[in-house]
Amino acid sequence: MADNKDPSDIHLYTAATPNGIKVSMLLEELGLPYKVTDISFSKNEQKEPWFLEINPNGRIPALTDVFTDGSQIRLFESGAIMQYLVDRYDTEHKVSYPRGSKEYYDVNSWLFWQMGGLGPMQGQANHFFRYAPEKIPYGINRYQNETRRLYSVMESQLAKSKSGYLVGDKLTIADIACWGWVAAYHWAGVDIKEFPHLEAWMEKLLQHPGIEKGRHVPERHTSLDWKNLSQEELDKRAANSWVRTESSKDQEKK
Amino acid sequence: MDQGLKPIRVWLTPSGPNPWKVVVILEELRLSYEVVSFKFDHVKKKPFTDLNPNGRAPAIEDPNTDLVLWESGAVITYLVQQYDKDKLLTYNTLKEQHLINQWLHFQMSGQGPYWGTAGWFNVLHPEKVPSAIERYNNQVKRVLGVLEGVLADKDWLVDDKMTYADLAFVPWNDRLESVLLCPDEDKFAGFPRVKAWHESMTCRPAWKRAMEKRDKLMDEQGLMWNGMPKGIKNLQEYEAKIAAGEDTTPKDS
Ligand SMILES: N[C@@H](CCC(=O)N[C@@H](CS)C(=O)NCC(=O)O)C(=O)O
Ligand SMILES: N[C@@H](CCC(=O)N[C@@H](CS)C(=O)NCC(=O)O)C(=O)O
Repeated sequence: MADNKDPSDIHLYTAATPNGIKVSMLLEELGLPYKVTDISFSKNEQKEPWFLEINPNGRIPALTDVFTDGSQIRLFESGAIMQYLVDRYDTEHKVSYPRGSKEYYDVNSWLFWQMGGLGPMQGQANHFFRYAPEKIPYGINRYQNETRRLYSVMESQLAKSKSGYLVGDKLTIADIACWGWVAAYHWAGVDIKEFPHLEAWMEKLLQHPGIEKGRHVPERHTSLDWKNLSQEELDKRAANSWVRTESSKDQEKK
Repeated sequence: MDQGLKPIRVWLTPSGPNPWKVVVILEELRLSYEVVSFKFDHVKKKPFTDLNPNGRAPAIEDPNTDLVLWESGAVITYLVQQYDKDKLLTYNTLKEQHLINQWLHFQMSGQGPYWGTAGWFNVLHPEKVPSAIERYNNQVKRVLGVLEGVLADKDWLVDDKMTYADLAFVPWNDRLESVLLCPDEDKFAGFPRVKAWHESMTCRPAWKRAMEKRDKLMDEQGLMWNGMPKGIKNLQEYEAKIAAGEDTTPKDS
């Protein structure tokens, strides 16, 4: 980990979302000090010029740090941020495997699977199921089914895993990347009871103090608090969210 | 540079874009490889799912290291870390390596799924759903806008050299006209830097060799440009035939 001469200065720009908490959960697991800026979507801060300097894609999370040579590094894409943090700071391999090992590459497969599959597909399920101004049954079904299919891929992997984690014998960034999405199953309208190993994995991760602490950055994580709410009650919450406001603005522009 | 290496086996369905990300990197690095081309009908079935539990192409088997790997982003990262000793498609320095990785994640999560979903609603979905078409076409344009801004005053995503992150964007961008259903010459309208960047990679011999291979493999399976076997009208028909276990091989080939 960082020695005295290490010029580290980690600053996380985030919001309470499945992609945001990946990074805070990892930072907490590694016990690293970091500053947090809470980006307000309702004020559209993620599209302000100062933020676009850090992430031209205008999304959270993003992270800045002072690199070993004293220069600043600015990174976006949660998966790349996680890989940067373990590569630089997880020298004891608490939640990662050494570069070049078989497990290291297996973690990469699952990490990219989350980034290109689970995240975007469950995100589309949320869009069609919760936010879209017009109910399009085909869109809802297609993306909820794909989310279920992706959960079942994790379910099979966890069913045959001796450790109960996705890769090898310990918690890794592959598990951390997926957790916030799986914990939001109810919001996407998917039933976790169909996936017993996945549900056990979701609970098991909460036993890690860093996961428990990091999920509440920058504010309380509510997905699990809401798991007993009815779909109508969740819809009411969605109606007030910034996402819905944005969608109706789009509609008005027409 | 691959003297003494056993060929790397690439499992692919020729129609989709993601496998060609892997092939173009193999071609650029001049590594020896062999293709196992199989039908889309079999992507969720054994033996492929023994290699990739997610049932999507591509996956590789590397007999030199006994490694099986899936997810195109993970595969090309591996190929470069393992075999690009001369740093043709990457940098020596850690900071730049992380920036390359950042753009690769952006490709995997920002380009791939959005181009795929836009293509779905524009082309494959049987009914036209205007609100969905508009949403995903706008997302595609937004992502192209991000790239246009980044490439405004430079030629490559990271510093001054083409890396595997640049190449990762090529397969989806190369079929942008069929994602947006527009004429080929209009596909980058409004994004001249993206166009120049894209074309500086598609004119390279490695990409040309990859596309020649693709044409051959598409023909072999009797596939049309949209990935469906000749004689099959739409995806619904195709999926129904696959579900019923029918042979979808075109009769005339
Ligand atoms: N692939 C990106 C996705 C980031 C992303 O979609 N972030 C959302 C919150 S989870 C966001 O910032 N949305 C704000 C917006 O789109 O304006 C990553 O994993 O970092
Ligand atoms: N994120 C994956 C996506 C792979 C993917 O979607 N592959 C397509 C072909 S390009 C596929 O196999 N589709 C099969 C299906 O949808 O059933 C990657 O980049 O490897």
